[in-house]
Amino acid sequence: MVEEDLLVNPFGWGVLILIATSLILSYRVLFGPTLADRIVGINTVTTKLVVILAIFGFIMEEYFFLDLAIVLLMVNAVGGLILAKYMEGAG
Amino acid sequence: MIEYFLLLLGESIMIFGTLGILRFPDVYTRLHAATKCDTGGAMTILMALAIASEASLLIKLKFLVLAFLIALINPMVSHAIARGAYKYGIKPEVVVDMYAWDNP
Repeated sequence: MVEEDLLVNPFGWGVLILIATSLILSYRVLFGPTLADRIVGINTVTTKLVVILAIFGFIMEEYFFLDLAIVLLMVNAVGGLILAKYMEGAG
Repeated sequence: MIEYFLLLLGESIMIFGTLGILRFPDVYTRLHAATKCDTGGAMTILMALAIASEASLLIKLKFLVLAFLIALINPMVSHAIARGAYKYGIKPEVVVDMYAWDNP
């Protein structure tokens, strides 16, 4: 049922594009030359995940996914700031 | 109709941002592409969701709050990463010298 709803809606095809670009970006996370490259990849993948959660909440009409998206965005912010602070101290 | 146009614009920004992160030669230029990809694409898609949603006004407001938080948080984290990378010892490889372009 979920798959049928996912591919009828045009926003569902957007979810497929977001998942594909996240998988392509995992190359940058795994084989990035420096630490900062990996952090940039992690941040971008997490923001794409926030958008995927919001689209799931819209398609399945269960809006607690929006709260999960807001919490994940704040965790992303705190994690990015802590990693940046760690890089600033380690240099 | 306008929400599908906004969705197409957001997905295009996401695809080209991914291409930029893969192909640019340096941390700072990759960060430039990542900021465009995150902020512009995600905010455009969330605005399309807020327009297309048929729920109550509070749910639409929640989509807009998510877009506002993305606009607030993502540039801050990108700035912190650029500052941390410079303090970490990564030198920029790309030098923009516009004076040399005009006076060969």
